[in-house]
Amino acid sequence: MLRSLLSGYSALEGRYDELLSGPGTPRPQWGAFLHSLAEREGAEVGETLALMDREIHANGVTYNVYADPKGADRPWEVDPLPLLLSASEWDEIETGIAQRADLLNRVLQDVYGAQDLLRSGLLPPPVIFGHSGFLNPVRGIRPPGGVHLFQYAADLARSPDGHWWVVNDRTQAPSGSGYALENRLVVSRVFPRMYRELHVQHLASFFAALRESLLRWAPRDAGAKAGAPLFVLLTPGPFNETYFEHALLARYLGFALVEGSDLTVRDGCVWMKTVEGLKRVHAILRRQDDDYCDPLELRSDSALGIAGLTDCARRGTVMIANALGSGVLESGALLGYLPKLCEHMLREPLKMPSVATWWLGEPAAFEDAWKRLDHILIKPLERSVREPAVFGADLSADERILLKARVAARPQRYVAQEWVHVSQAPVLERGRDSALVPRTVGLRVFAVATPEGWRVMPGGLTRVAPGDSRGIAMQRGGRSKDTWVLSDAPVNATFSLLSSTVKPEDLVNARANLASRAAENLYWFGRYGERCDASARLLRVAIAGVLDNTAERRDGASPGLALAQRMGLIDEDDDSGAGLLRAATHRDAAFHQRLSTLSRVAFNLRDRMSADNWRALNQLVGDPVFESEASLPVALAWLDRVVTSMMTLSGFVLDGMTRGFGWRFLSMGRRIERMANLCTALQIATREGRSHGLDWLLELADSSVTYRSRYLVAAEWLPVLDLLVRDEANPRSLAFQTKGLTDYVGKLEFSHGRFASDVLAPCHAALTNLSAADLSPESPVLASVLDQLQRAAYQMSDELSLKFFSHAASRSVLSLVA
Amino acid sequence: MEQSQSMSSASQSQTQSQSQTLAGASQTVERYSVEHLTRYAYTAPVSQSWQLLHLVPRSLPWQRLLSHALHIDPMPDERHDASDAFGNTATHFALHGAHRQLQVRMECVVEVGRRPSDFGAAAGASWEAVRDAVHNDPQLDDLVPARMREGTQLVPWSEAARVYAAPAFAAGRSWLESVTDLMQRIHRDFEFEPGATTVSTSVDEVLYQRSGVCQDFAHLMLACLRGHGLPARYVSGYLLTDPPEGQERLMGVDASHAWVAAYSPQLGWVEFDPTNDQLADQRYITLAWGADFADVVPLRGVILGGGDQDMVVEVSVVPGV
Repeated sequence: MLRSLLSGYSALEGRYDELLSGPGTPRPQWGAFLHSLAEREGAEVGETLALMDREIHANGVTYNVYADPKGADRPWEVDPLPLLLSASEWDEIETGIAQRADLLNRVLQDVYGAQDLLRSGLLPPPVIFGHSGFLNPVRGIRPPGGVHLFQYAADLARSPDGHWWVVNDRTQAPSGSGYALENRLVVSRVFPRMYRELHVQHLASFFAALRESLLRWAPRDAGAKAGAPLFVLLTPGPFNETYFEHALLARYLGFALVEGSDLTVRDGCVWMKTVEGLKRVHAILRRQDDDYCDPLELRSDSALGIAGLTDCARRGTVMIANALGSGVLESGALLGYLPKLCEHMLREPLKMPSVATWWLGEPAAFEDAWKRLDHILIKPLERSVREPAVFGADLSADERILLKARVAARPQRYVAQEWVHVSQAPVLERGRDSALVPRTVGLRVFAVATPEGWRVMPGGLTRVAPGDSRGIAMQRGGRSKDTWVLSDAPVNATFSLLSSTVKPEDLVNARANLASRAAENLYWFGRYGERCDASARLLRVAIAGVLDNTAERRDGASPGLALAQRMGLIDEDDDSGAGLLRAATHRDAAFHQRLSTLSRVAFNLRDRMSADNWRALNQLVGDPVFESEASLPVALAWLDRVVTSMMTLSGFVLDGMTRGFGWRFLSMGRRIERMANLCTALQIATREGRSHGLDWLLELADSSVTYRSRYLVAAEWLPVLDLLVRDEANPRSLAFQTKGLTDYVGKLEFSHGRFASDVLAPCHAALTNLSAADLSPESPVLASVLDQLQRAAYQMSDELSLKFFSHAASRSVLSLVA
Repeated sequence: MEQSQSMSSASQSQTQSQSQTLAGASQTVERYSVEHLTRYAYTAPVSQSWQLLHLVPRSLPWQRLLSHALHIDPMPDERHDASDAFGNTATHFALHGAHRQLQVRMECVVEVGRRPSDFGAAAGASWEAVRDAVHNDPQLDDLVPARMREGTQLVPWSEAARVYAAPAFAAGRSWLESVTDLMQRIHRDFEFEPGATTVSTSVDEVLYQRSGVCQDFAHLMLACLRGHGLPARYVSGYLLTDPPEGQERLMGVDASHAWVAAYSPQLGWVEFDPTNDQLADQRYITLAWGADFADVVPLRGVILGGGDQDMVVEVSVVPGV
């Protein structure tokens, strides 16, 4: 069995193999795992893969390519086989990484402080000053506890001799720890028994340490009434390729997930704009590049930042992790100087070496590089998409001359790095029955600063290079693996992050702190969702009317058409059939635009929506009906699909969301929109549709079934108007909307002060005072009540915006003036 | 309203100045009164505004700040001064209430003496010697020259600028001669043309279109010098201009100015003005310096709301207060 598992797997000459120590001989830590795996038959492994895919899908794990909102999220790909590391192997990594992180933080303290390293020549100034990550305005800022580097990640590769080397340092806003966590959740569920029996070290304590450290270091409010400090995770937003991770970590750590526009600076402190007003922020876990963090003092062209943030850091009123300016350590030129710096600053040798790297600004290194070109790669000292690393061995004689000329023009911009033959590990190949194949792997490990020293996450993100390629990068679409650090003794299995880090005061926090921007998005999600639903129903009614040839010809345009015009779905001079068809199925028509708008708002709420909902919406926007000429019956079928999808979506809202502030804003959005739309429909019906029957109106308001179950007669004005206007039990009636709104507003006003009850109370009274006699299309009383309710809907919307969303106003102008 | 006030107060100081100039005519210091007014009008209310000013002239061995005042309208909700990374005074202020206009008026009286300009014996050092000295001894002038050799966001490395400047840097030529030659070339080859560029126009674009304003020429010269491994920094300030022959000095028609200070270990920071093809002298009043314009923008701000904005800048430099 084991033999068949390994039949397609062989070690490569000149590379370390993670699995095999010799032909057909697994390394000790793999023995138990392989045997257990081999016991599963081929079919079972297939099931394993399917199970994993389901988990990934259900959790909505994605990794999207930057700035492609159109469903460019690619599902996260996880190989079910973890990378296994023995306890002693891990020791080497752990101590090496802790030491390195400590050293790097000291380097940051120096280059943004005394700059002795630069003066003494231990570090050539161009290595630091020549890197765009060095930020002048940050010079002289001492962050809380002297912690510039709070989170650190290193990309490791294992060389043929079995030792780990650092290929890259990630010091700005290292990503991947959340994906590592997700991989763990998924893979440990696939192999629960092995996970337990192999004593795999848990990740949760690492995240607990991160929280505790922030608690220790973050500044506090002065005074006795200081509450729990507010921590936020700052994300560039849903367009970022690792947004899923930001949302996941924020949830896991219990931090508020914010974008720059959710924060503001006042009186030297950072504040979060919540529906409750401004709340002081004490620590920012930063996933946004530092030069984009403050348009006032850093890059002025950034719309993502928080004006004045640098000054808050200067005053020490907020802990920013990592501190602004820490990206300078990603200068590739630094690697070659670390051994000397370590001896100088820590008085001990560097434990974990970097892959040999030379800064070509040194004339000797520059000359040497061209002699060893076959064994090195040349890359800019800054990470750059436009200028990827060049493998010397790949170049022709002419290309070598060109490269040398380019580098010689400004050698201080480049480094040469030894080309390491990276280790390989087994992955489970899909499509081949239970066969293991070797793939190049790299390991990203994570560390966090604590007052007691650096804590290294026992595990990490193992990245798998696609095929036999040499580069390993998530953005280019690699797969990843969980990383299991085995321990000799059983690990404390009772430790779980959620139970240990959620404290009673956090439970309160989790409910408050709804960002104004999120509240606004939820509100508009409610409104646009309802608007799409109403538009689809209206088009359906109107198209059905056109198709219904048996209907007698009546005077004037049908009320459905009039309403469609009034609601902006068709133009006034549109021929009814063609106009409706275009409205329903053309990409440039209003209906498609409404769906797109809804999808855009939903995109901004992705941290609150399941992947299924998000996907369902995307499918509507990209429905094939928009691709080709459709006929009216096809359009009808399509509108049926839309209505069904919209119902599913509101089902999610009803069942899938907690009844917090967020839900309330969404519901108010729906009710306000529904109230306004129904008023319009009733106005048209009572004024222009008196001779057209009432079935279309019941259909539009989704109340036909209710009506028929109650009244066994054809639709008549009195019972129809009663059902749609006065009946508080009908979720489609005006009274129902008013009642619900009164309820929500009452609750909000209880905690936030009055803002809309003055508008609502008269509506409620007017509806209650309507007599049966007023329920006729000719009634002036009814007409005035409809007008009043419609105005009230618009006014409510304004009052809500003013009261809760005004903080979310987008920043519109940046000025640089000579 | 505000504008007419500033005009009248300025002309008062002008009349006062007559007698003082006569009294101090034999001294080697010049005294100036400077007024720098910036006014924004917005078409929609601005709800929040954060501003960062570099509007306090530096105190230097040859420059003394006798008086200084900033008048900000509406009154800021918060304001404080801090020293920035280059030793300039930066004023931070913020408005948290709705406003439709913002006005910042700086008034100061500055004394400017002669800059150290003994170019005698040491002037002979070659430009390569200066380049190598800075490379080999980063300690020079507290690391500032080492910092001022690198590219920045507004003045990134430009191969075009390096090539353009190369003829000025013949092998073995003295540093002073080379840099002076470069300044003259820029003055000769480029048209001074207000409105030809914006703050975001790159050095390469300026090189291509051969026109710009003082800020562009300063950036271009920085790119040329740094491209040859020579440290240089951006200086922001004011230049006393002469009124046209036979006419009275008009108020508010001056502008803020920008030039370049290049570093040699022997001569220190020597200030070159490529816009006017001259070394800075007593007519040059220094506000602030940095690696490029972004470090020393007189007024830099972020606002919420505001719609379209209309901006007016008026600068007056009046001699002999």
